[in-house]
Amino acid sequence: MVQYNFKKITVVPPGKDFIDIILSRTQRQTPTVVHKGYAISRLRQFYMRKVKYTQQNFHEKLSTIIEEFPRLDDIHPFYGDLLHVLYNKDHYKLALGQVNTARNLISKIAKDYVKLLKYGDSLYRCKSLKVAALGRMCTVIKRIGPSLAYLEQIRQHMARLPSIDPNTRTVLICGYPNVGKSSFINKITRADVDVQPYAFTTKSLFVGHTDYKYLRYQVIDTPGILDRPFEDRNIIEMCSITALAHLRAAVLFFLDVSGSCGYSIAQQAALFHSIKSLFMNKPLIIVCNKTDLQPLEGISEEDMKLVMEMKAEAMKTVLGQGGEPTNDEGVLLTMSTLTEDGVIAVKNAACERLLNQRVEIKMKSKKINDCLNRFHVALPKPRDQKERPPCIPQAVMEARAKEAAEKEKRKTEKDIENENGGAGVYSASLKKHYILSNEEWKEDIMPEILDGHNVADFIDPDILLRLEELEREEGLRQAVEEDDDFEMDGKELTSEEQEALAEIRKKKSLLIQQHRIKKSTAESRPIVPRKFDKNKEFTTKRMGRQLSVLGLDPSLAINRARSRSLSRKGRKRERSPAYDGGDAMDVDVDTPKKKLRARSRSLSLSRSRSRPPSEVTPGEGFKDSAQKVKAIKLGKKSVKMRNKDARRGEADRVIPSLKPKHLFSGKRSIGKTQRR
Amino acid sequence: MVSLLSVMLGLPQGDYIELHRKRHGYRHDHFERKRKKEAREVHKRSAIAQKVPPSSPVVHSFGPPGSYVFLLGFDDDYELCIHFRCTLNRCVQALGIKGKMFAKKRYAEKALMKKTLAMHEESTSRRKVDDDVQDGAVPAYLLDRENTTRAKVLSNTIKQKRKEKAGKWDVPLPKVRPVAEDEMFKVMRSGKRRTKQWKRMVTKATFVGPSFTRKPPKYERFIRPSGLRFNKAHVTHPELKATFNLEIIGVKKNPNGPMYTSLGVMTKGTIIEVNVSELGLVTPAGKVVWGKYAQVTNNPENDGCVNAVLLV
Repeated sequence: MVQYNFKKITVVPPGKDFIDIILSRTQRQTPTVVHKGYAISRLRQFYMRKVKYTQQNFHEKLSTIIEEFPRLDDIHPFYGDLLHVLYNKDHYKLALGQVNTARNLISKIAKDYVKLLKYGDSLYRCKSLKVAALGRMCTVIKRIGPSLAYLEQIRQHMARLPSIDPNTRTVLICGYPNVGKSSFINKITRADVDVQPYAFTTKSLFVGHTDYKYLRYQVIDTPGILDRPFEDRNIIEMCSITALAHLRAAVLFFLDVSGSCGYSIAQQAALFHSIKSLFMNKPLIIVCNKTDLQPLEGISEEDMKLVMEMKAEAMKTVLGQGGEPTNDEGVLLTMSTLTEDGVIAVKNAACERLLNQRVEIKMKSKKINDCLNRFHVALPKPRDQKERPPCIPQAVMEARAKEAAEKEKRKTEKDIENENGGAGVYSASLKKHYILSNEEWKEDIMPEILDGHNVADFIDPDILLRLEELEREEGLRQAVEEDDDFEMDGKELTSEEQEALAEIRKKKSLLIQQHRIKKSTAESRPIVPRKFDKNKEFTTKRMGRQLSVLGLDPSLAINRARSRSLSRKGRKRERSPAYDGGDAMDVDVDTPKKKLRARSRSLSLSRSRSRPPSEVTPGEGFKDSAQKVKAIKLGKKSVKMRNKDARRGEADRVIPSLKPKHLFSGKRSIGKTQRR
Repeated sequence: MVSLLSVMLGLPQGDYIELHRKRHGYRHDHFERKRKKEAREVHKRSAIAQKVPPSSPVVHSFGPPGSYVFLLGFDDDYELCIHFRCTLNRCVQALGIKGKMFAKKRYAEKALMKKTLAMHEESTSRRKVDDDVQDGAVPAYLLDRENTTRAKVLSNTIKQKRKEKAGKWDVPLPKVRPVAEDEMFKVMRSGKRRTKQWKRMVTKATFVGPSFTRKPPKYERFIRPSGLRFNKAHVTHPELKATFNLEIIGVKKNPNGPMYTSLGVMTKGTIIEVNVSELGLVTPAGKVVWGKYAQVTNNPENDGCVNAVLLV
């Protein structure tokens, strides 16, 4: 994806500074000390290094310049044309070409002089050769100085170009100078374009962004176009023409019906007809601006005829898109940016038409088939022919109607405020709608602090009710306490009563114990294991009887109990996974790869067994059965354990350096160092 | 992807600086600050010229007090300087190559400034003109001394000079430094034990011509390495003052000896013949001149190129 952000190009230094930078870098980064007495090869190497280093730096810097500047053929044609209009493609290419030749020349110079340096037999000779080499390289750079200055200027201008994305939803505004294009864009977006009474205030493209139906649209403001033959147009107008020609956008052609821009409707219509070829295949809307000065109905006959002609042209574009031929609302609109009347309507109309066009194109293209398999609209199958419209209760319908009527009649607070003098003059009385038992208390002033206490702490609307409740509670509690005074004393009971009491207590504790046992055993074990049910009390018949006594239908429960019984299933039979749906509580003997097996199994288990594995169901998201089979295979492959036999792992020994310096350098105190 | 952020946030587009100035004007103190800053530049520049810039480390070397002492590291080492009893005032200067470059630039600027000032101060008033003193004129207090004329001596020297001149051609460089044989040739040892020393390699620039083929390596006595062979020379026309890159046709004469001429060695002062068809010269008879002599004016082995001046 090519970057349309030209702000990241590195600065191009002027020729002299360029030379200074590189030479001082060579002076700092290469060794500087050399003496006459060194070995000749060392001298040669010293100077060759300097020549090479300088050449490399020049090469690097010139290469960054060549690469970072955009190639006019590789970027989107809109930007290519825009840059051509602004900077002249030929000059631009020439400048970059000169930089390229300079790079090659410097490489050649370095190569030649390094070859010559090999024959240098004295320090003086090598030094002179190095000086000659560096001098020649610097002369080459001095010669391309003007190109570098030109490229720097271009870079600065390019960085200020608006970042327009040529592929997204775009609305383009065009028309004569001074018709109100920049005011419109200021109204609907956050772009802050300069608006002045003289023509050609806007000298380049400006972009702003606006939202419609949760989507972002970019709105492009163009400089005004005059009605001239194509060759006579200046650079500013050519910017607009380029934008019109290359961007697939909705076009808003602005018309000034009042003539206050200095051009009559006839001239504007003439411009329209001369550039209407650029509106091909683009949703076109004709916008009549400045209707506060001159409403559309009030213009003269000939002007009206011209406007209708333009509208007819615009209708053709609607027809061309296969739209409704009689829908002419969205083609000719009036508005006034000063009073903001109709601005939003224009924006909505433009966005709507653009969106429809884009959706249509996308539906017709081939790419949609790749997406279609990911959508699946599930509709419930109708089980009978009965119509089931939404049911709105009558009361709600009446309320709605009443509300609608009320809304028109209701007087809002804002209206009252406006009547009484506006925002600063009238302050609404907030206590107007208080609900109080006595109407006269509305305007009373509430104290906040009384006798050192916060009044708010003592306010309670239901205080009387609470008081009553409290009193009632008190009464009850007292009564209860009286009752409680009567204690249960064992001595006052008769023996029978004592017996009965003991029995009751015993039964109660028994019940409690039973309940506890029942709770601890939970559902995992059968409530009554067969070995404790020797009398065969717990049968399905008994359960059925008890359930029917309660009034429930026992047949389902009986069936379930029967199906789960061990005698039917057989005690030692291994539970087959298909029936249980991947129960993780498998009794497993040895599972070396338990986790993985369970995972792959669970995936395979989630697939239905009633269909063949490669059949595609609509809701799954696969294009065709081949893709599904591939996906299944990939899934299985990803779960396989990797074989690491005999390969080096992270813990295996690593030798960081194969020729460590301490073993390969240094002299011996006695003897020779011929082998190490 | 396009960076929408700047435009979404309503950040500047187009000529935003000018637009801001148009809408809001300048700061209330903008012009005063600008004027003061420009006035301060002078002092700043002199400070740089006098002090070591804090980012550049400099080598420390001691000397007797009062000598130039180079500072180590940064400005806070002034205390170190004092401790070693050297005078601080003499210690300060922008040093190293940066200092030299700055000084050179500054000197050029100053010279230019002085010239323009002088030009402005030239007045239209007239001044007295001093007459040139005649040759042989003697001040009054030296009159009446007898000066012997040395006619004979003078005539002898003139004769000697005439003799010398006869052996010289009329060339731009009449005399050149003689090049010794050991400077010209490098001895190449050959043989199994590297004892034979009859081969020589030429260490100066040579010209061999397009149809040159080497003798079999076993028999060639003088090796002319291909890295030192040149085919083109930068020839200056003395009257036009323009330099052209012309092909060499051959080496005419090397002042160091006929052997070098036959080898084609080009040293300073060598006469070479160059192809001047580029210049489009025509003889009075109407024939096109395509070869002319030129004399080499530099040491080609030191500069990597042959510079010559055309002999017209």
